[in-house]
Amino acid sequence: MIDPAIEIKGLTKSYGNLKALNGVDITIKKGEFFGLLGPNGAGKTTTINILTGLVFRDEGTTTVFGKDTVKDYRFTRSKIGIAAQEFSVDWFFSIEKLLHFHAGYYGITKKEAQPQIESLFNRLGLTEKRNSKLRELSGGMKRRFQLAKALVHDPEIIILDEPTAGVDVELRRDLWKYLRELHSKGKTILLTTHYIEEAELLCENVAIINQGKILKRGSPKSLTKELGTAGISIKVLNIKENIKSILSGYKYTIDENKLHISVKDPDVSMPEIIQLLTTEGMHIQKIESTKSTLEDVFLNLTGKGINE
Amino acid sequence: MNWIGLKTLIFREVGRFFSVYRQTVLPGLITSALYIAIFGFTLEQRISEIHGIPYTLFILPGLIMMNTLTNATANTSSSILQMKLLQQLPDLLTAPLSGIEIALAYIIGGAVRGMVNGVLVLLLGVLFVGMPVHDPLGTILFIFLVSWAFSSMGLLLGQLAESWDQLSMMQNFFLTPLSFLGGVFYSIKMLPDWAQTLSYINPIYYMINGIRYTTLGVSDSPVYISYVMAIVLTIIFTFLAILLMQSGKKIKY
Repeated sequence: MIDPAIEIKGLTKSYGNLKALNGVDITIKKGEFFGLLGPNGAGKTTTINILTGLVFRDEGTTTVFGKDTVKDYRFTRSKIGIAAQEFSVDWFFSIEKLLHFHAGYYGITKKEAQPQIESLFNRLGLTEKRNSKLRELSGGMKRRFQLAKALVHDPEIIILDEPTAGVDVELRRDLWKYLRELHSKGKTILLTTHYIEEAELLCENVAIINQGKILKRGSPKSLTKELGTAGISIKVLNIKENIKSILSGYKYTIDENKLHISVKDPDVSMPEIIQLLTTEGMHIQKIESTKSTLEDVFLNLTGKGINE
Repeated sequence: MNWIGLKTLIFREVGRFFSVYRQTVLPGLITSALYIAIFGFTLEQRISEIHGIPYTLFILPGLIMMNTLTNATANTSSSILQMKLLQQLPDLLTAPLSGIEIALAYIIGGAVRGMVNGVLVLLLGVLFVGMPVHDPLGTILFIFLVSWAFSSMGLLLGQLAESWDQLSMMQNFFLTPLSFLGGVFYSIKMLPDWAQTLSYINPIYYMINGIRYTTLGVSDSPVYISYVMAIVLTIIFTFLAILLMQSGKKIKY
């Protein structure tokens, strides 16, 4: 059996009385695009920091391609590239030099790193800024540099901590496109985010974390199907008396001539309901549906919205 | 050993201080020149020779040592604290570098700055004041050992410090007084007995004493004690700095 790219088992971490992680289990297969979804302070960054060696774990195991991240740190860290949430600051060197330094820490000589740095500069639109210092870059440019730094040693696993926090819509789209490209090349990606849309759009699987615990995991689609609720509202010209027996399998409310039906998957339920109503001779004037999202899932699991 | 990683970090550390040489190389040279001009040329007439050496020459070895050790300490302590405060340290700590490699690279970076500063003041003395260098190899060895030892100590201080305030407190309350009291400007034989005894527990006294012997050929204590002290300090501080870096104290949580 092939070892998973990342395997976290029973991970706990406390800061004094605060239990930051309370038995986290996550398995990420090689080549998977995985999202760790949760509100601020849920334990996303702590989990990542333990994987990469910035934080000591209390209990549990963390392995990368089957090797322990503490005992075999040289192996595991060389497999991972990290784009941290917070920008680092440097007063002394150009961004090109900083990338060379970063490659060097991973055992890559200047000569070996140059082609990769050129291609990253090109792809991320940083070529013109190569001689600039970090503080001279805009926020969006810094975000791109952050990504370039994570990729300079061409790692198999890319960990992105809130990669699109505070960037404009255009850059966000561009970064998403680039992440998809990387994924299609076989990279394993672990992304933390509190943007529902980001997780739904990019991730094959997500785990929902809250207060240091994984509440649920699965594909965004299966989770929304299982736990999400969507609404269908139908304006009917002539609601018949026997509506109660017709819609006996559904949760619904009637407001004058408007039906509100809550369903798990509107794509499946809508045709069924339309057929039920029309065969009974009811005339449908208007149909609206609100799609279920991971936000509903989160709401369902925690009783709170993700950004509340 | 990640040799390329080690080499890269050394280059980074050396490049960092060279890129701001106005802050890291020139000030020590200017301050030493001022000391020579003010203390030496103006006061020399009023101060009798010490151990048969004119006053300007007498203070030069102390100035070399002071410049060497303050620069070595400042380089590592400020570099690691700066990286800590500016969120750069995670770049090192998440890379496949061991605590030994990180510590060694920092120490070497600081030692290079200490040596550059020490040698420049040495040249200043030789070229402009005609300072004799009785034992060139021993002189360089002393500058090297002191640079290395105090660079390691700076790394310890920088890793433990949480703010610039704490760091400057350690420097102003310990390092500077110990340097001045180590006999830069006087022979401890000129002090009352109790103060002489106190000087013997000041490690910096032995460093100044040692280089004064290798340059001018005079010293208050036998030179071998200075060598032993310099080597012992170097070993202890290097060992502690590596251990502290490996422990991740104050930099990993």
